[in-house]
Amino acid sequence: MLAFVLKKFAQLFVTTLGVVTLVFFTLRLIPGDAASAMAGDSLSGEALERLREQMGLTQPLMTQYATYLKSLLVLDFGQTITTGLSVYDLMKSALPITLLIALSTIVITVVAAIPLGTLAAFMAHKGRKGLDNLITGTAMVLDLMPSFWTGLVFLLFFSLTLRWFPASGDVDMSDPFSVLHRLALPVLVLAVTQIATMARITRTAVLEVLGEDYIRTARSLGWSELRVLFRHALKNAALPIVTVIGLSFGSLLNGTVIVEFIFNIPGIGSLLVNGINSRDYQMVQNLIIFYALIFVTINFATDIIYRKLDPRVTF
Amino acid sequence: MTDAMSLGRSTSGEADAPLPRPTGGPAIAQRSAAPAAARSVPAFRGLRAVLANRKARIALMILVPIRVLTALLPWLPLQAPLQTNLRAMMKPPSFTFPFGTDRMGRDVLSRTLEGVKVSLFVGFSVAFISLVFGIVLGTVSGFFGKVVDRAIMTVVDIFLAFPSLLLAIGLVSIVGTGLVPVIMAIALADIPRFIRLQRSLVLGLRSRAYIDAARTVRASQWWLLSRHVVPNTIASLLVAASIAAANAILVEASLSFLGLGIMPPEPSLGNLIRDGQTYLEQAWWISTLPGVVILAIAISLHFLSDGIREVLDPRSRK
Repeated sequence: MLAFVLKKFAQLFVTTLGVVTLVFFTLRLIPGDAASAMAGDSLSGEALERLREQMGLTQPLMTQYATYLKSLLVLDFGQTITTGLSVYDLMKSALPITLLIALSTIVITVVAAIPLGTLAAFMAHKGRKGLDNLITGTAMVLDLMPSFWTGLVFLLFFSLTLRWFPASGDVDMSDPFSVLHRLALPVLVLAVTQIATMARITRTAVLEVLGEDYIRTARSLGWSELRVLFRHALKNAALPIVTVIGLSFGSLLNGTVIVEFIFNIPGIGSLLVNGINSRDYQMVQNLIIFYALIFVTINFATDIIYRKLDPRVTF
Repeated sequence: MTDAMSLGRSTSGEADAPLPRPTGGPAIAQRSAAPAAARSVPAFRGLRAVLANRKARIALMILVPIRVLTALLPWLPLQAPLQTNLRAMMKPPSFTFPFGTDRMGRDVLSRTLEGVKVSLFVGFSVAFISLVFGIVLGTVSGFFGKVVDRAIMTVVDIFLAFPSLLLAIGLVSIVGTGLVPVIMAIALADIPRFIRLQRSLVLGLRSRAYIDAARTVRASQWWLLSRHVVPNTIASLLVAASIAAANAILVEASLSFLGLGIMPPEPSLGNLIRDGQTYLEQAWWISTLPGVVILAIAISLHFLSDGIREVLDPRSRK
């Protein structure tokens, strides 16, 4: 197990280094460097040259790369080009909001999708197609709804028509009620898609297991249907479900960018969109790397859990 | 396409003949060049088998009319997409304006159709580009293995470390906005997935008996790849490609919605919906109705993919 974790960790390290390198060198390919982006049209040639020197842009590329790696290691993400604020501080205040949205979505998804998917599988197994078709059909439609569109429809319905939730305003992390009030809709929008995806996967996984011999044996022993379903079937269907929770984290991160934009939430996604609109490469570069890091770390964790659940797995 | 259709007519007498081998297996590899055998050209048989599938037919019954409507747009009794009409601003859906009008009195339906044209173009371009790069690099990686495989897979892993929309956002921030950069950005995010898929398909085929047989008779590498390996992966790749097209359409719409994709006045479903966001309360139709069209297209493409899969692997039918 330890060897396995170490091997996976080495892969994680290589991928992370690759991500950082890729982003660094790709950004250096852009015509016009960070100094001219920062100065806009306000500086003359000589002043621009001085600024470049100040920012270390006149040094050889490999020196710049080394400096950049070192600064990342000590969590020094530099300053935003446009406003001069520390990127680290901005991220520190935005991150809890995004994480809260992502994690609550996952919890709601797991709680709702696993029973729904199991139920659909059970119905399909019993040959009662009606409910199964209803659940799978709805899941397919919900799964494919673009999240920005769902977001707008929910905004229209719950905020503008029913006036249950505010459409904008501050997120005061010290006041749980205001946080709940403000983040409920974005989480709901994300959860709809996630639940749909996971319910479909759960259904397929459980349905496959329900045909196995040991399920028949469990039934013949007189266990109740519920016990067979949850103790025996679901447990053995857990592997694909865990994988999907891990993989869907990517689409969840994509989704947070969209809902933060729609609902005006000051999270990491809003920082990213604003950063791109103001051509703030320093910010964009760090944020993209940060998203990739979260994603690879989650995948790393998924691999480990997968292995833990199924000792037969070798990679 | 016309060939396939006339073919369908000329062979309609045999409609009750048993379906072609549906596995897409070696059948495709034995492509015959003789025109006399044209009616059994596997590609056409495959097409007929797909058309015989219920899900694929439903998908085409939605996609084809939508595509035809976009092509006929200039002749439809609709106000031109860019034409403003100050006497009909923010009008709700009606007979003259089925999807209503926006703040400048432009017809939302004709703008939606114009956007659909762009969306479909993005979807198919991305699917095609990813398919081509995926086939070439995936085949090389899977068939030749060793150092090349290592190198390609390392790069693929790095690209797969980014959530897809975020990679597209990052790339667009570098290559800029507009139709072509968006297609490039989405395709670049998709290609690694296709390389992976093709690689695993090729790895699965490499040890098949008919590949060994061809090797025994000293077939060249090129012959092996072009006659036996690649043709047998095409079918599975098409299943993935039609999902990739749906996905690309959704990603393009998301990018344009965020203001990072196709920018107005170039129409796109995403920026159409973005335009309407400001007036959501006064004019709900501007943002919501184009979204329904995106959804319909995405669902059709997934149905098409399911259809192709069922034709390939009859066991997957429920």
